[in-house]
Amino acid sequence: MCKCKIGKFFLKLFGILFAANAVLFVVFFFDLDGKLLFNVVEPFLKKHYDNMKRKDVLNMPYDTDKFPKYKYDEK
Amino acid sequence: MAKKKMTKALRDFWYGKPHSAEEGGRRLGEILEDKTQLYKHREWRGVKDTFYYMYMIWGYNYVHMVTDILKYSNNPIDFFKGTWRYRWMGQTYLPVIHWFDRGLQGMRGEALRASAWHYRAMVSASIQQICNFFNGDTRLHGGKQNDAYWHTFLAKETTCGTLFYPWMDAGYQYVPIEMIPYFVTCHVNSHTVLNYIDAAQSIGLPGDPCPMCQAEAGIYVLDDVPDCAPFVITCNEACDGSVGTAILQDWFIDKPLFALPLPMQFDDPLVKQYCMREIEECWKFIEEQTGVPFDFDCMVKYLERQNKLQRDEWEKWDVAAKTDYYPVNGVAQALFRIFSTQYGIQGDFWEENSEKVKKIMYKCVEKKINPFPQTRHRVIAWSCAPLYYSNWCTWAYNCWGLNTIINMDSLMFDMEFRTDSYEHMLEDMATYHMWAPMRRMAVGGMHHIFELWDYMERFNCDMVAMYDQLQCKGMQGVHGLFEDEFRKRNVKAFWMPHALPDCRTVSRAEIRGYINDYMTTVMHEEPLDPSLLDFDDSMTW
Repeated sequence: MCKCKIGKFFLKLFGILFAANAVLFVVFFFDLDGKLLFNVVEPFLKKHYDNMKRKDVLNMPYDTDKFPKYKYDEK
Repeated sequence: MAKKKMTKALRDFWYGKPHSAEEGGRRLGEILEDKTQLYKHREWRGVKDTFYYMYMIWGYNYVHMVTDILKYSNNPIDFFKGTWRYRWMGQTYLPVIHWFDRGLQGMRGEALRASAWHYRAMVSASIQQICNFFNGDTRLHGGKQNDAYWHTFLAKETTCGTLFYPWMDAGYQYVPIEMIPYFVTCHVNSHTVLNYIDAAQSIGLPGDPCPMCQAEAGIYVLDDVPDCAPFVITCNEACDGSVGTAILQDWFIDKPLFALPLPMQFDDPLVKQYCMREIEECWKFIEEQTGVPFDFDCMVKYLERQNKLQRDEWEKWDVAAKTDYYPVNGVAQALFRIFSTQYGIQGDFWEENSEKVKKIMYKCVEKKINPFPQTRHRVIAWSCAPLYYSNWCTWAYNCWGLNTIINMDSLMFDMEFRTDSYEHMLEDMATYHMWAPMRRMAVGGMHHIFELWDYMERFNCDMVAMYDQLQCKGMQGVHGLFEDEFRKRNVKAFWMPHALPDCRTVSRAEIRGYINDYMTTVMHEEPLDPSLLDFDDSMTW
């Protein structure tokens, strides 16, 4: 009875692992990850980045004298 | 007849289809979708190699991309916040596995395994750099300047990472500013950089300088650089276009900045003295900014590790030069060298993966395994490569049997540091600094540019792939001289025009067209895999 239960457990475990690997293989072999990223995720992110509000850096003043000149070898 | 067919089908299933058309080959071009180059289905490389690819490359790298984030990030949530904030991050990180696919297409056995380990090191190093960016980024931490912010050095990407070793044990990290937002994106997803090139031109800057300089300026124009360090070190990358970029960076970064020039003239003892003084000034600047003194012992410790990595590379090059048993393909070798020399020793990923590759290589030597059995020509690739098509050499091997044995990119920093005294170390540091990327053998004077002939002999190459960066005024100046030398020396060479990061100027298809024309009209050869001659990959990453 006990042996039978352990056997069933391992059979089930083997079945789950096999199914998981089969699914992974399908994703891998048919490049489903690449297709999802190219056709869905990237266009979504591009849209987000295109619409992002950005600072207009050209409005920053260019203070050339704000920091020292860092000359160390001049006596 | 049916039995023969069945035997061939079984052999193809077990070992994968043979390479060449004559043997009823694999026709790699037919498994890819038009334009996007996504796989209709991935390549069947035989039972062993297909499952190696699935578990040890595809699955292994997906898993390690996550574990690397957990390893290098102070807070993994920052990684997601950064992905949402920065275009170069979101668009680049996604297709990493496709980057492996492009570089490893058609590879089998030891070539597949060794080349993939080089890629693994680069991905790990890139994730570490990304985490260094985000750990201290005030934009991701509500404007707060945290401990990581005060322990990060920001420097222009062609400033050598070795300069910062003296502060490594004090907990400082070095980030080459444009390495991830610009350089890595071009290789992994060539679409991203176009936004930055266009941004630079949108503020009225001319479109004819080097597109690298434009893109590096463009990431600032689009305000797409993390604010992760209290000061910055720039250099001129030995090019006037980059001087312009550094001026814009000085404006937009608005922090204490030290300009560390690469002298335009080198191999001159007086200029070298000047360069050594400049480096010492840079170290004083860092001491002043951080309040932490220069640590020579720490410098020696990291330089010794770098020297070991260099010696490993010499071992590999020796096998590449003298035998047919070198298992790393052209793109994996070149990028590994550029990535590792620019990042410097900031983790153990270079050494670990280099050891793995050496182990595979010595297996090939001992068992006399030729990892590239269809090699027709041993090619040396010279000058600066197209970043959006660095995997051209994988295609060239699969289509024509052109095996890129060595690249100029790999040879740029062909030296060890002396660590016996401060004076020797400083002298070598100046040499290393002056041998910057795209410098020594690109705009570094005739002596170095024409080192090509010596390396061609040393690596037993019979053909030159001559890159022609159309927007590099320096290299355009020597185009004719190379033409003359190729004729005079009777060297087989083909030119590959490109625009470094910008795939719109010369497309990948055009580059393949130039090589196809050369191989048919000059060499009168037939392709190994005709399905790879002409295809549309205009939309690919």
